[in-house]
Formats: sequence, structure tokens, C-alpha cells
Amino acid sequence: MTSGVTNVSVAQVPPGTSLFRARGTSSDIEARPITAVLPLPVRLNSAAPRRYYLYLMAPAIAVLAFISLYPFVWLIVMSLQDVGVGAGEWVGLKNYTRLFNDVRFLEGWVLLAQYSAMCLALQLSIGLLLAVIVNGARWEKFLVTALLMPMMMAPAVAGLVWLFLYNGTFGWYHWLFQSLGWLDSGSILSSTDTAMLAIVLVDVWQWTPLITLIALAGLKRVPQDQLEANMVDGASPLRNFFAITLPNLYPVLLIAIMLRFMDNFRFIDAALVLTGGGPADSTKILPIYLFEVAFKFFKLGRGAAIALTLLVVTIILGKLLVRIFEKPKSERV
Amino acid sequence: MFYKPKNAIYKSVSRRRFMELGGSAVTMLGTGALGIGMNSTMMSTRVQAQSSEDAKWKQFAGSKLVFLSENTPPSFAIRDKIKSFYDLTGIEVEILTDDLPVVQQKAGIDLRSGNADYPLQYVQDKPIGAPFADFYADLSPMFGDDTLPQDPEGYGDEVWYDNFLTACGRYYDGAKVIALPYDAAVACTFYRKDIYEANSKAFEAEYGYAMEYTNDTTWKNVLDFATYFKARKAAGEDVPYGYAQHQGTFAWTTQLDIQRMMFAHGRWTDFDIDDKIGSKTPGKTKWGDEQSVLMLEKFKALADVSHPDNLANGTLELNTVYQSGNIAMQIQYHEFAASIEDEKTSVAGGGRTAYAPCPKGAPEWILNGGEAVNGTNCGIGGIGISGNATEEIKRAAYLFAIWSTSKQNQYEVLSGLGGTPTRKSVLALPDVVAARTRPTTMPNALTFDAVYDFGIKDPNFVLGPKIPEANEYHSIIASETQKMLSNAQTPAETASSVQSLLDSLNDA
Amino acid sequence: MASRDVVQYKSPLVVAFKIFSVIFLTVYLIWTLLPIFVMFVSSFKDLLEAFNIPEVGDWAGVTVFFDFTPTLKHYHSLFYDNNFGEYMANSLIAAGGSAVIAVTFGSMAAYSLSRVEFRGKGDLFFWIISTRMAPVVAVMVPLYAIFRSFDLIGTLPGLILAYTTFNLPFAIWILKGFFDNVPYSIEEAQMVDGATRFQAFMSILPLVAPGIAAFIVLCILFAWNDFLFAAIIGSGGAKTLPVATRELVQPQNIQWGAIMAAGVVTTLPMMLLGLVIRKYLVTGMTMGAVKE
Repeated sequence: MTSGVTNVSVAQVPPGTSLFRARGTSSDIEARPITAVLPLPVRLNSAAPRRYYLYLMAPAIAVLAFISLYPFVWLIVMSLQDVGVGAGEWVGLKNYTRLFNDVRFLEGWVLLAQYSAMCLALQLSIGLLLAVIVNGARWEKFLVTALLMPMMMAPAVAGLVWLFLYNGTFGWYHWLFQSLGWLDSGSILSSTDTAMLAIVLVDVWQWTPLITLIALAGLKRVPQDQLEANMVDGASPLRNFFAITLPNLYPVLLIAIMLRFMDNFRFIDAALVLTGGGPADSTKILPIYLFEVAFKFFKLGRGAAIALTLLVVTIILGKLLVRIFEKPKSERV
Repeated sequence: MFYKPKNAIYKSVSRRRFMELGGSAVTMLGTGALGIGMNSTMMSTRVQAQSSEDAKWKQFAGSKLVFLSENTPPSFAIRDKIKSFYDLTGIEVEILTDDLPVVQQKAGIDLRSGNADYPLQYVQDKPIGAPFADFYADLSPMFGDDTLPQDPEGYGDEVWYDNFLTACGRYYDGAKVIALPYDAAVACTFYRKDIYEANSKAFEAEYGYAMEYTNDTTWKNVLDFATYFKARKAAGEDVPYGYAQHQGTFAWTTQLDIQRMMFAHGRWTDFDIDDKIGSKTPGKTKWGDEQSVLMLEKFKALADVSHPDNLANGTLELNTVYQSGNIAMQIQYHEFAASIEDEKTSVAGGGRTAYAPCPKGAPEWILNGGEAVNGTNCGIGGIGISGNATEEIKRAAYLFAIWSTSKQNQYEVLSGLGGTPTRKSVLALPDVVAARTRPTTMPNALTFDAVYDFGIKDPNFVLGPKIPEANEYHSIIASETQKMLSNAQTPAETASSVQSLLDSLNDA
Repeated sequence: MASRDVVQYKSPLVVAFKIFSVIFLTVYLIWTLLPIFVMFVSSFKDLLEAFNIPEVGDWAGVTVFFDFTPTLKHYHSLFYDNNFGEYMANSLIAAGGSAVIAVTFGSMAAYSLSRVEFRGKGDLFFWIISTRMAPVVAVMVPLYAIFRSFDLIGTLPGLILAYTTFNLPFAIWILKGFFDNVPYSIEEAQMVDGATRFQAFMSILPLVAPGIAAFIVLCILFAWNDFLFAAIIGSGGAKTLPVATRELVQPQNIQWGAIMAAGVVTTLPMMLLGLVIRKYLVTGMTMGAVKE
């Protein structure tokens, strides 16, 4: 892929048309530390200017420390205590050991994994397909704009709108599903078999456009000359897609996967509105269970322990994500 | 493009000005909003026992209090009338209404942290009262305080409806009264008289007795009714389902559904404790015994012939199903009568609906040798005062508590928005007596025969376990029974998993 | 793209894919726009009309969806019986305030991070971005405790600060990418001309101005759509639109008409903003990982 990329990019895009394209098309899928690309003058690191830069940084760092370090320390302290309704008492690691006997905690992880996997599989396949279809289409600008509308809606509001659509008495989607023969008389939210699907559908509805947007950005960078050369050699479009297009999309798609994964950990607004974890815990993904433990049962110690496990996994995922960003492009798959 | 090095320094000055402006705008935002803090403020003038009533009411004029409440009609009703409280006392009350879960969170965090951001709170008996009972102020010392105005009827058990004061005000040792009953949600049966009459003959031909609903109708009869309707529906006839439950997302109503039936059969309760005042150490649960397994089997049988949306419906959704004519009977909280009787939104209105007590236990389903009763449960909402508040604030808040639960106020809420009174004297008012029969101007009064005269009286009354872990208890019962209803586990498995989860919850 | 037309396939497979594309795209567009459309239309319906649906399988009955007399009463009740005007102002101030703070502090920090090298910079940078990844539920209780001790609960400054928890790291992360793209030689030239360091910093701001403007809008979008922070830290004195909308779900009465109207009020401004900054949306939503 390497030689193709450089040739095309130089030829197609006049340098400096916008801030983002200043360094040519191939770097639009950005490798993070451009500082490495632009070596800075050595004297920047002399003592006086360094202090000056630290001053500039200070307000942001102070605010962030205030709202992130303290909660983190608090979580750790809390997770070592039994804080029910009364005052807390130190219990060591009991909150953690108990987690591993807590079926709801373990199931919460399994459900979270299932939920994320279902969301991602659908979003990726549909999003990618849409990107391929829309790419270069006559109405591309208009189509993309129409597609991304769901992303603008507050997730809590989206949850309510879908609750209205799913309602077993007056919901239009309920009527539609029944008329198509996909559902018996019960509403989609009332069965353990379908409730998870119901919240997955909402997530897919809202966030597939993001995958489409990302994939579309990636598609624009696929080396056209290579595709054409292959076509002349008689390769089928399908083969071309798998041999050239997809490998080129791989890095962006990976980023998309990570982002959606983390967001599934972060946001539970819509699911809370739609099912609140029910029926029969079939949608009680870990963040919802955490919400219950901390805010409904007021088990702050146990909640903190759950929160920390969630936090650790998120941070590991985040670290992976950042590593992908930071890898110079040439080292990427 | 943007790159203009020649005049860049000049430009940078204007940019700086721009930033300064932005900065001051941010500062203004900050100070402008600081006034919206939510701390209560206090003003007071000394009064003595001999002072006039008016002086006693006005002693805290100029103060400001915050009332944290649920977003229910009674709260809105109070908010509409808050002006008259201000006129009476000169105290400004800010009412914050939130979803019950948010109210729980805020009350919990505020009480636990030792603050009194919300000196007045809506104390729902189990979701809020049970976990936080220790954090509320004892009202009883103020009941006899002659430097405070007092309700002419007083606050004894006898002035409220049976069990109400204990349900929302007394917890565990019963030494304190932490809340005064403000509104009530009591379960009763709503059924379609017209549909029952139309199907009576056909039902009798099949089952050998008439399809009628009386105080002696049992859960077994309800199962028969529902089975009958389901069979007719399966045969393609245009009939509604016979029954439906609120087994949906709201764990609390889910638990109340199963509890009602279990208590009806031999007055079975989860723990061996005084049901009304609860216990901090409930000990081992009775789940897993023979009676509980049988009840789960019957509960499942009933759910199988009920409306299929059980697992998605809470109280309100179920009520919508009933309003739309898709079920012939529901067990619902009596405050919903007002919405049923509204012919504009309900096909069940216009005299088609009758109200009756909850079903009775079926003698043949009682294995523990107990009595068959019309198990009736409820939620009583009280007004309580944060124990973290200063003495002065508590006294000011007390004025609001007794005002809002007074006879006159309750009557106005009932006739205005459709409230649910807690004082006996309200029901003795001629207007209210007249409203108990159709045509009525206060539809909720149609349920009073079934609710106040029968359901909430002993031996039918059941409150459900008041335990500090009430919220997690509700969640466990809801999740496990839902699993059974969706065929993920058998009744016996359910009973034993509930047993082990509850015992580990209570360290028993 | 002209180059595309050079080689074209006309195999049956390609034709089939073309037909499939059109069908799929149509179905998907309907599916993606329908909920929004239903929300808009239902907000103008009387409740009983909104509950009107045809019999199962009665496809011709779909027309009942359009069988209604438009009413503005839900909007009227939002702004007159309810304080949606105030909630909207709260949303605007909280989202706008946090965006301004995030971008102000963020650009200063991002600029410095872009210009200076020191040991542990990678770790610092990761710490900054990880605050943005933390599950909101996980940090809510401790945040509440801190905010309470500074009397920030239920106030607009409190909510602004709460939104800063996710907008500030986001701004630093994105803006650093912008500053990285501005050559240091510009500042150097300024300083040779006698400008102070701060003036030099200000002089390159215009270069990144379009990006900053777009990210102010994105920050507003994220803050505006937030629910959990607003529900726990804001509600009371600083109730925002999503929270107020959620509150229309009452235990005894879900006000669907009002909810749909509130949904429109909440969503419409963001859709318009979204159109305005469409170009920057991918970059923003992917935290700078992908640029269009």
C-alpha cells in the first residue's frame, strides 16, 4: 500500500487547502504525535520558557486534578470500606472478594460484552456498507447529512422516543414488528429474548452514522490508482474490496471500534430509560448494575469496587486506543 | 489565508481583548448564578405559649425552605397551593420534584453526608424511609410544643387511616415518628363490570359458577377468569385479556404484585418480623418453604394467561392497557381511578369500571395453616424533616409538615387534582361522602369503600418488609420472579435463589 | 471523480449491487429518519390522536398517522405551565459556559503541550484523556461529594464545572492536534519582531480559529445532550432540557405529547448546529483520530 498512497496523495490534493490537509492526504488519518515530525528548536527547553509553558498549562491541569484525581482516590478509599446506610467501616478487600461471588456482577460483564459485541457487529457491517454505497454517490453530501441526524439527539431523549415507538399499546414500531410477523402480541421490551435486541437497536440507530462517517473518511484515502490497476488486471470488484479497500480501512475501523466500545461503557442513558436493566436482568449490563448498587442500594463501598473494575478495564482499553493513535502510520497494519 | 505576520502583533492585541471579554463573561456567569444556591435561610421571632395562633404561624416569616419531592400529582398540587402557605406563615418553600430514583439518590447523599440541603423530604415508606430512617428528625417532641401551632385534630394513630402513621412514620424500634402521612397508594381491583356481565353465562357454563367479583373472590377465581378470557381470545373472539400485572421495570411494583398474593394465603411474609415497623435484623427469610413455592407456581400460571406485556409494564403502562380496553381486570393503586373515569382518555370510563378489594386467598392453596385474607399492600408517602437540620429549621419545616397534611389541604388536593387523603376526617366531609357514588366529581372516592373501609384494615393490610436493604430486596425479588416468568427458571429454583440471595443480603 | 469512469464493470453482480444499494439505502434512510419524524409529528398531536394505530397487519391503515388536527398545545404547556424557557436558558448557559472554559483553558494547555517537551509528557497526556474515558456512573458519587463541599450542587457554575470534566480533556486533546500543525517559525518570527511569548501565542490563535469555533460547538453539543451530570449535579437550580424532558415521565402520567414536544425543543437546535459544523464532526466525534 505504501507507494500507492504517496503517489496519489501528492497528485490529488493541492497542499495547504485546509489546516487538516496541510501535510497531504495520507496523513489525514492522523498519527498522533506530530511533534516527532516537526522537530522543535532545542532552545525551547531552556528553563525560562519551560516555566512559561507550565504556567499556561496550569489552569487546565488544576481543574482536571480537582475533578479527576480526588474522585479517583475517593473511589479507592471507599472501595475498602463497608459503607451502607450508616457510617463506613474498614473491611479490607472484602468488597472485591465478594464481587466474585456476585452473580449479578459477573453477569453484568457478560451482558456488557454481549451488548457491545452486538452493537459493534451491527454498526460495523451496516455502517461500512452504507459508506461504500454513499461514497461518491450523486447526493453524497445530502445523504450523509440525513444519516447523521440521530447523533444529534440527546441519548435520554432518544430513549424516550423509542419507548414511545416500542409501546405495546400504541407504539408504531410495535405495530410494525407485529404486522411483519416478527413479534407475537407482547412488546419487544417485555421479553427476555428481545429486550437486549431492543436496546441494541437504539444504539445502532443512533451511532451507526458515526461508523459510516469514519469509514467514509477512510474510503476517501483508498488509493484509486491501485484499484484501477487491479481492475485492468481483471480483478472483480468484490476481490478488490477485500484486497485493497478493506486493509486500507482497517486502522480507522479499529479506532471506531475502540471509541464505540468505550462509549458503551460510558453511556447508559437510553438503556436506563428503556429497560432499566430488566426484564429479569436480561439487559442489566454492568454500568446499569453499578448505577443500582451505588444509587439505589446505596452500597457505596461495593459500588466503588465495581466502579474501579470498570475504570481499570476502560483505562486499559484507552491505553490500547492511544497506542494505536501514537503508532506512526508506517508501522500500522 | 490567515497567515499575516506583518500586522500580527496588532492583531494579537485585539485577540487579547477578545479573551478578556470572554473571561469576564465567564466570571459574570459565575456570580450571576451564585444566588441560586439551595441552602435554606432562616429568620425567626420569639413566640411564647400564650402568643396568638397567627404569631405562632408567622414566627419564621422571611425564611426559605427546600422540599425534595417526587414528581407526582400531590407534589404538583402542593406547589400550586404554596402561595397560601406563604400567606399563612411568610415562609417561602421551594419544591424540587424529581423522578423517584433521583429523589432517592439526592436524599441519600444529602442525609448521609450530614447536610441538610433538603430539610423537608418526601418519605416514601420503603424506598426512602426504610434505608434512611435514622437520619430523619423525630417529630413527636414537636407534637405537644405549645410554642408551635398545632393541628386541631392532633397526630395520633386514630386520626389517620388504619396503619398509615406506622407505615410511613415508625421504623424498627418504633420510638420515633419521622413522617406524617401525606398521600397513599393502596392496591385494589379495577374490573370491567360490562365485560364480566357479558361473559357471565358462558363462563358459568364452563366453570360452574358465576363470573362475579366480590370481596370473597379468590386468587383461584382470578386464575379461572383469566384462563377463560385467554381461551376465548385464542379461539379468535374479540375479548380482552382477563388480567395483567405490573411486572415491569419498576422493581418495587413487581415485588408488591407477588407479595399481595402470598400474603393473601395464610398471611405469609418474607421474614418473621413485625411487618408494619420492620426490623434492621430480619434474620433468615421464609422463601423456599412449601407455601412460597406453591405461590410462585400459581403466580406463574396466572401470568401465563395474562396480558403478554407484563414484563414491560409498570403501574402507569398497565393502566394505559386497561384504559385502552385490552384487559378486563387489573389490580391497581387507587389513585389511578381518576384517570380511568376520564371518558376522554379511557374506554373503561363512564361507569363501566367497578372497584373492589384485592382478591382473597384460596383456602385450598394454603399450606401453612394460616388464614385466607384479601392481602392488600400500599405505599404511604410521608413528609419528613432532615435530622441534620438545625433546631430552628426543623421547627419551621414542621409548620409545613402539619399544614400540608391538614384536613383542609387534603380535601382541596382531593377535589382539585385527585389526591389520596390520609386523614379520616376528610372522608367524613359531606362532599366526599357524596362523591363515593356515581356520578362523582372526585373519581378517586369511588375506591374508598374497597380501600379505606376494607383493604387497609387488619387482617388484610400488608406493608412488606421494612428493612434497611429494602431497595436491593425489591430488586432481587423483581429480577428472580421475572426470570421465572420468562421461563428461565422453575418456581422451586426461584424460591431457593431468592432465599440464598436474601440471606446473603441480610448476613443471615 | 473522473478517474472512476475510466474502468467500469457491467457485470450482473455490479448491477445487482447497484439495485441492492438503492433499496438498502432507502430502507435505511426511512429507518433512521422515521423516529425523528414521528417525534416531530406526534408533538403536534392531541394525545388520543397520537395513540391511534391501525389493526395489526392493516397496512392501508398507516394513513391514520396523518389523521389529526395539528395543535400547538404541548409546546404551549412546555413554556407556560412548565418552565422550559428557563430550562433552555440553563442548558444554553451550562453548555456554552463549559465550552468557553474548556476551549480557553484547553487551548492554553494544548498549545503548551504542543510546544514543550518534558519527561512524563506522555503520561500526563494520557491522564488528561483518561479523565474523559471514565464511566460517568463511576465518578458520580465522589464528584457529588466534592461539589457539595463547595456549594456547587444545583447551581449553574456547578454544572458548568461538571461539564468541564469531559469537555476540557476533549478540548486539550483535539486542540493539541491543531497547534501541532502550526509551524513554530511563525511565533519565532513574531518574537524576533519584539512580541512577548504570550503575544506570540495570541498571534497564532487566528490560524486555529476555525477549528476552535467548531469545537466550541461540539463541546456545546456534548454538554447539551448530557443527562446524568445534569440530573444529579444540576437539577434543582440548574435543570436542563434533557432532565426536564425525562421528568415528564411521571409515575401516574407519562405526558407523551409534551415529551415529544420537549424532544423537538431539545433536539432541533443541536441538529441545526450539527449542520453548521458538519465538516468537523468526524474529527470531533472520533476525538481527532480521523480527519475528513
